[in-house]
Amino acid sequence: MESPARAAAPASGAAAPRKLWPGALAMLAVPVLLLIFGPHLPSYPLRILDMILLYAVLGLGLNIIVGYAGLLDLGYVAFYAIGAYSWALLASGQFDIHLPFALVLLIGASLAGLAGILLGIPVLRLRGDYLAIVTLGFGEIIRVLMNNLDRVTNGPQGIARIDEAHLFGWTLSTPDDFLYLLVAMLVVVFLFVWRIQESALGTALSAVREDQDAARGCGINTTRVKLVAFAFSAFIGGGCGVVFAAMQRFVSPESFTFWESLVIVLVIVVGGLGNPFGALLGATLLILLPELLRAYADYRLLFYGMALVVIILARPRGLISRQYGPSWLMRRLGGGKC
Amino acid sequence: MLTFDHVTKRFGELAAIDDVSFEVKPGIITAVIGPNGAGKSTLVNMAAGSYGVTSGRILVDGVELQKLPKHRIAHAGLSRTYQNIRLFDGMSVVKNLEVALVPPRVGSLIANTFGLSGRAAAEERRARCHAVLERLGLAAHAERQAGSLAYGQQKLVELARAIVAEPRVLLLDEPAAGLNHGETEQLKQHILALRSPDLAMVLIEHDMKLIMSISDIIVVMNRGQLLAQGTAAEIRSNTEVQEAYLGQPGAIKDIEAAARGRRNRVRLREGEGLTWHQP
Repeated sequence: MESPARAAAPASGAAAPRKLWPGALAMLAVPVLLLIFGPHLPSYPLRILDMILLYAVLGLGLNIIVGYAGLLDLGYVAFYAIGAYSWALLASGQFDIHLPFALVLLIGASLAGLAGILLGIPVLRLRGDYLAIVTLGFGEIIRVLMNNLDRVTNGPQGIARIDEAHLFGWTLSTPDDFLYLLVAMLVVVFLFVWRIQESALGTALSAVREDQDAARGCGINTTRVKLVAFAFSAFIGGGCGVVFAAMQRFVSPESFTFWESLVIVLVIVVGGLGNPFGALLGATLLILLPELLRAYADYRLLFYGMALVVIILARPRGLISRQYGPSWLMRRLGGGKC
Repeated sequence: MLTFDHVTKRFGELAAIDDVSFEVKPGIITAVIGPNGAGKSTLVNMAAGSYGVTSGRILVDGVELQKLPKHRIAHAGLSRTYQNIRLFDGMSVVKNLEVALVPPRVGSLIANTFGLSGRAAAEERRARCHAVLERLGLAAHAERQAGSLAYGQQKLVELARAIVAEPRVLLLDEPAAGLNHGETEQLKQHILALRSPDLAMVLIEHDMKLIMSISDIIVVMNRGQLLAQGTAAEIRSNTEVQEAYLGQPGAIKDIEAAARGRRNRVRLREGEGLTWHQP
């Protein structure tokens, strides 16, 4: 008589946490603390904090392609640039178009998402190094395009006099205005990326990463799910670009070099591939480190490079490895099995 | 039912499969045997969509597989295991199984991601995976990383992944390769337990003892052609089959006799009958 009960027990999911609030509280602490203490920082550290948050969001976005699907994208900055130029062109004196920020955020992110799909269709047959090279090329194409489309983008001089952003009657001009916006973005993107990881889409992407042919054999339409990953990832990158342009109120092609793509890849590689916490930690380190090394002016890049090499050698899977993600934390603090 | 209908596969000049036709019926276990290079694996790889078909048709319940992209073949009801284990090593065992149950439509995948639909369906998929793991004695390993399991367990996880979507055709490509006696015996019980009126099973194996003890029908391939098919007893007494394996008719008896008489170094293990070993 006890057998039905015993059979049902494992089906209910051995990994489910008993309590949800401890994990949720721990994770909420980060944005709450940022919102409480962030605005009291002096201007310079506050700007750095904003950059850290921006790169954390970029890292979360790129993680969908690189961390979950295992496709090395070295041209992520292209999507960022598309977003940035969307705001620069649609809210400035350049063509005397002045669209509202929320609308451009949607347009920029969607354009980037579309570019992700258009890029994805031809290149997603490629894997590994070949994909990396093509995406790197795409990043450069977008930059060179911005550089040479003088009439539209002002070429290398870039676009200045970009509008001040207004979001539902709230003016975004100072670094602490952007802190609120970026913390909100971080929370939304974090939850979205975590949700992907836990959903069937995340399962499909992981399978593509582990063994693409076996995944197809299991019925996964690998091309489609990779396209979806590319689109989501590009969408987030585009959104970050819009915010970046609104923050700087100036864009030029030199903000979107290969170096930027590399930094975003490093954010997730150093932090921990496929781990949303890793993107946060990686962004913190990669943005903070050069600032701390400012005192050593000439040797700054040398020390920066050495620090990265040491981190990668000591922890090849990144500082926080894949399995210690938000779900693990929820289980850990919620009293479930780990 | 799986049907091979005048299937030919050429690699350049070489016909790896040459006009092969046979049917694999549901409810029974059909073994495909033959020496190395006979075309057994090519047959499996064509059915699963890894290789294209040069000519002919491969059908699952009337659906032509050779026209479908590889991922649609799984949706048509065919699943397989691999000669060399191909699990998703970095994922947990239960996630490995869930891959086989991912909804086929990308639209519903996106809707699920945004939490718009499919919560109950996701729970149900997970429950199905746990039920299959339970059935194969893997419940305790559900949350472990697939790559960290012992070889024999990995083989079972692969079997679990292949059956969780309740296929109509199951291709087992050397499931016993590399397993020890106890594990092979366990595998045999699991395979026998899978027999159902809705499932056509194809077994490719080199372990003749296993084949003779669980196959209802044996199909013998040689040099890309169908040599014979029949029950284990029929195949055992088929002179053509003996010739293909050993060069001349009656050779099995000669060797068995030689081994029993210990007149030379050919040995057979007690009760095993003839085995042949791959180089």
